[in-house]
Amino acid sequence: MTVMSRAWGRLTLPGKVIFTAIPLLLALGVALALVVGILGGPIVELASQYGAVLRFLVAATIILVITIPTAFLIIFMEMKIIAFMNLRVGPDRVGPWGTLLSVVHGLKVLMKEDFTPSRADPLIFTLAPVVVYGSSVMTLVVLPFAPGLFAQDFNIGLLYFFAMGGLAVVGLLMAGWSSFNKYSLLGGLRSAAQMVSYEIPLTLSVAGLLLLAGTMSVNQLVANQSGWFTNWYVFQQPLGFLIFFIAVTAEANRTPFDLTEADSEIVAGFATEYSGMRFGFFFFAEYVNVFIVSAMTVALFFGGWNAPFPFPALAILLDPGSLGIWLLLGIAIVPLVGTLVLSLPFLLTRSAMPAWQAIVLGFVLFNVAVVGLLGVWAFVSFDWVAGLLWFLAKTYVFVFTFVWMRATLPRVRIDQLMGFAWKWLMPAALLNLFVTAGAILVVGR
Amino acid sequence: MTTHASMDDPRVTLDEQLGSFEPIPPYPPRTEREHEFYTVADGEMLVNIGPHHPSTHGVLRVVMKLDGERVVDIDPVLGYLHRGVEKLCENADFHHTISYMDPLEYVSSLFCEWPAVMAYEKLLDIKVPRRAEYIRVLTGELNRISSHLLAMGFHALDLGGITPILYSFIERDEMVEMLASITGQRMLFNYFRIGGVNGDLNHEFMSRLGDWMGRATAQVEANQGLLNENEVFVRRNRGVGTIDSQTALKMCWTGPNLRATGVPFDIRRAHPYSVYPELDFDIPTRSEGDSLARYLLRIDEIKQSLRIIDQCLHQMPDGPVMAQVPRLMRPRPGRAFATVEGPRGQYSIYAVSDGTDQPFRFRIHDPSFLHLQSFTLLMPGQLLADWMTINASLDPIMGGIDK
Repeated sequence: MTVMSRAWGRLTLPGKVIFTAIPLLLALGVALALVVGILGGPIVELASQYGAVLRFLVAATIILVITIPTAFLIIFMEMKIIAFMNLRVGPDRVGPWGTLLSVVHGLKVLMKEDFTPSRADPLIFTLAPVVVYGSSVMTLVVLPFAPGLFAQDFNIGLLYFFAMGGLAVVGLLMAGWSSFNKYSLLGGLRSAAQMVSYEIPLTLSVAGLLLLAGTMSVNQLVANQSGWFTNWYVFQQPLGFLIFFIAVTAEANRTPFDLTEADSEIVAGFATEYSGMRFGFFFFAEYVNVFIVSAMTVALFFGGWNAPFPFPALAILLDPGSLGIWLLLGIAIVPLVGTLVLSLPFLLTRSAMPAWQAIVLGFVLFNVAVVGLLGVWAFVSFDWVAGLLWFLAKTYVFVFTFVWMRATLPRVRIDQLMGFAWKWLMPAALLNLFVTAGAILVVGR
Repeated sequence: MTTHASMDDPRVTLDEQLGSFEPIPPYPPRTEREHEFYTVADGEMLVNIGPHHPSTHGVLRVVMKLDGERVVDIDPVLGYLHRGVEKLCENADFHHTISYMDPLEYVSSLFCEWPAVMAYEKLLDIKVPRRAEYIRVLTGELNRISSHLLAMGFHALDLGGITPILYSFIERDEMVEMLASITGQRMLFNYFRIGGVNGDLNHEFMSRLGDWMGRATAQVEANQGLLNENEVFVRRNRGVGTIDSQTALKMCWTGPNLRATGVPFDIRRAHPYSVYPELDFDIPTRSEGDSLARYLLRIDEIKQSLRIIDQCLHQMPDGPVMAQVPRLMRPRPGRAFATVEGPRGQYSIYAVSDGTDQPFRFRIHDPSFLHLQSFTLLMPGQLLADWMTINASLDPIMGGIDK
């Protein structure tokens, strides 16, 4: 216990609040689930009157919570993949294969002193990470994860995405200006120049796609791409996709466009003077941004949650009530028989293995098999499970691409960065828009 | 007693005058040049880079006068690693000074030892055995390759590429282990002796060397493919820090940096020493004189070094590796100058003896110091990020500069 109390004593105030809030929120969630489960009917009646508001609140909470494991996962991916590309081992101490290292990073950030330089502007200095993190979380609202699994469907969803993405530059400028540090100031100014320049090719690159689709709702855009993978917009807008991907890399401040935090030039850019959880927010926002831009690329150009081929609809509906007494017998007998059957190979062939070990092994195998079967069943019979899996699989391919680029490419210079945006990307995006419009005029949609 | 105050501590009321963060200059200007530099015009600002900075290759501090991202003027500030090596050497006997040479340019230690022992051999009229000379050339060229690989890896790291440095270190580690197997040390070898070398080639060294030589060329080329064919890397380097041969000669440049401007000056050929006249190798040059040329020239030099190592292994004679030298050395009064071609240019030692067992005067000449003073020529008008390119391509080592 002394270890626990000592660790508790080292937490900062926000750390204590967060550590208290997490179990409380979990308990609240469990209690809510129980209440909804037991008193389901009347509450649903009540909720349906405020349905939209309630749905949005729940969705927003879920989104806020899932950013944390997403960031942890991507941080771990980056550490491990870059390590393999560098012929290193990478993290391998905390947790199996080092998987918990990013969690430990998160805890470490909570325990560090939340320091404000004495000449800094305290209010703006404190607000800057909130703005940066808030803007990246707010973009998640329009992302469709699966059929029916989204927070809010705007008819101007894409516009909202660009607007919220552009908000991050305000936070970076605030951080750069308020830190009272010349490196921070340079980083903030670089980020402003970079993001404002790349907003233009970014928005223009999807203009052709919008002409084709005739809608700005991200949900509708994804639904348009159902069927075979040839329906994906990347095959109709290859140039648009390339421009979008490059511009989005610059928007997310990833290598080779990570000038705002160029560590060999301006130390850490806008984040130089930050420590503790305020730095953690910048750090988290960067990796959440990687997820968001990958997800948006998938949603716009790679069919979102659609499978690459028309998936046969095999709705296997289970109705346990119809089984009657057999249900009870099945619950009693199937695990026993399954465990025994699966432990038979070990019992018969491994003479050196004690019988209890073989049976434990059989039980573990039985559980794996049941979970696997349940997964296959859920994948086949629920749209949203299959959709979510396809969506995440495609998204993490792009997350991997970002990590790969980070391991391969050096950083560009600021004049090359600006020149590339204005001299190459913008004319190319305009050309793409022009050709698309012409094609629509001649051929039709 | 000073106490540290924090804005987060509610008990502390901060005096606004406490901690004035105007770090430059810490003194009133002493010269006209300092006065000119530290007078900041409207719209300009001074930015302090170093002494603790990721890309200063040691503890160099540069003050840059910036107009936005553009560098108006630059002022390198030296002396953060000054240990007074010359004075230390004047108070040590001749054998002792060799170990003071190692940490000067800590990535190419053998080239700091070499001119020192050559100068003492001239003072003492000692003839070094031919096998010892061959071993010096062999280990020296290995050290040159490892130094160039390090420079190329850090060049990429300074531009933001994180992988090439680790690929370089695979090869460098192999060479460092090789040298450690005959010298007993991985970095500060202390291997050369007055009149020879400390130990003969041994089995571990030879087996490691033979194993490595089989794949060296292919491996080095494969590693550099990540950079040479990388559009971002090439564009960051081409045309940055360009200098013509006349200016380079006026600024006393030597080594790969001078040869990248088209001057085929190499001390191994211009003022031959050791057994280099018996070896067959080319002096690669390039005419562009920019950062990319300096980078590419190092690859060419690695290939020539591999050629030299190959010949050394074939021509290595039998015999002793140390001459007969007295235990207590009192050379006749006089002076000696010795110079060698190192991975960064001309390394020289000027030693004066007054007949005692210690050098009366000991002067170290280091090429990086002369390359560093050209920042003021190369930087104005370039961008902030170009300083990292130029610094990495000139490849200064602060241990040798500050001495």
